[in-house]
Amino acid sequence: MKLTHIAAIAALALGTIASAARAHHSFSAEFDVNKPIKLQGTVKRVQWINPHTWIWIDVKKPDGTTEEWGIEAGTPNTLFRLGLTREALPVGTEIVVSGYEARDGAKRANGRDMTFTDGRKLLMGSSIGNDAQSK
Amino acid sequence: MRPAALATCFVVLALAAVHGQAPAAKTGATGVSKTPWGDPDLQGTWSNQTLTPLERPAQFKDKPVLTEAEAAAYEKQLVDAGNVDNRTPGTVQDVNLAYNQVWWDRGNRIVADRRTSLIVDPPDGRIPPLTPAAQKRREEDRKASDNEKFAASWLDFDVYSRCIIRSALPRLSTGYNNNYEIVQSPGYVAIVQEQMHETRIIPLGTQPHLTSTVRQWLGDSRGHWEGNTLVVETTNFTDEARGSTFQYATRNMKLVERFTRTSDRTIDYQFTVSDPDTWTRPWTVKMPWNRIDGLIYEYACHEGNLGLEHMLSAARAADSKK
Repeated sequence: MKLTHIAAIAALALGTIASAARAHHSFSAEFDVNKPIKLQGTVKRVQWINPHTWIWIDVKKPDGTTEEWGIEAGTPNTLFRLGLTREALPVGTEIVVSGYEARDGAKRANGRDMTFTDGRKLLMGSSIGNDAQSK
Repeated sequence: MRPAALATCFVVLALAAVHGQAPAAKTGATGVSKTPWGDPDLQGTWSNQTLTPLERPAQFKDKPVLTEAEAAAYEKQLVDAGNVDNRTPGTVQDVNLAYNQVWWDRGNRIVADRRTSLIVDPPDGRIPPLTPAAQKRREEDRKASDNEKFAASWLDFDVYSRCIIRSALPRLSTGYNNNYEIVQSPGYVAIVQEQMHETRIIPLGTQPHLTSTVRQWLGDSRGHWEGNTLVVETTNFTDEARGSTFQYATRNMKLVERFTRTSDRTIDYQFTVSDPDTWTRPWTVKMPWNRIDGLIYEYACHEGNLGLEHMLSAARAADSKK
């Protein structure tokens, strides 16, 4: 199967899901799709707040100084059920974040993908592990 | 204290007294557990999470039910589609799902009877045609949604972004926090909705609805039992804010929900919505509420609604560049 066919099927399926599911707020009103960003930093604090968890990391710049970035993550309820507890992401953990920058130019981004520095994912998501719930 | 407020306090206290749920009495002759005062027992924590779409997709146009093999393939297709590794960065789909599979809690199964849509009536599994007035409301809503990037005020956002309610009733399966807790006491059924932590308190009996001038975010519900089925009729919705009505309906929409316990772990949930100003005919959804082995958690949306602040900040930053 050609890649374009796979992409078309994926888009169709995503459209089906997306019609019933959106994040708490509009992504594009807060973040800029034209500003993808990849950050590597050390977890400084985690705010377990609704409607979104915020993970604050210190990112070391090439000149040796650091700057703080805020990463918007999922709802605490879901993350907790998936196993992201205080112990799972302690202060000082180094993580890599892929996302998009905030539209207002502040040092914030959404956390679309988050991994440890060795490439392991922070979480594996709901595609595994909860088979029982929908039946 | 006004009588209405006193009544509310009484209901809350009564529910608090049974919180943790009243113990179920012995299973009746029909096999359905009963509360100590004899009502069918719906209590517990439940999830309406499912991958089954509300409307039947075009790919299953003449196929209301899948075979087991087809269902497995469809589930895999939907799960894979949500996997970030299969997406093309920068596409519309990517932006719509700006959080990868990790942040969602949609589950990975369709409904157990393998239907291709949650809608069971009309038989084609599709929402009936919108009236011209409803089409206009839908178009206006889409424009308003697009214009959130340039919002002048929090009033430009919908009820979800403003943390007022998740969405109007009835509730469909969404991206996360699809969990509910049902608590019963004599004369009342309460449904705690995890997102966004509202509690529906449903009086049972024949008392009339509130006067039509009183409008509420979750409408005004009245319930009664038909055999082992809890039937809840809800009216008095409001169109006070964007997104406060269901699927472009007017505030005069009528909702009838039916909750039937079919096993220890399942409630058959069905609803019918009707509104002649919106749809050319009523339509009905059937979806399971499945028991979850755990608690529901607080979703105090207002406590850290930084998203609203950030979106307004982004709009002002855009203004300054004009």
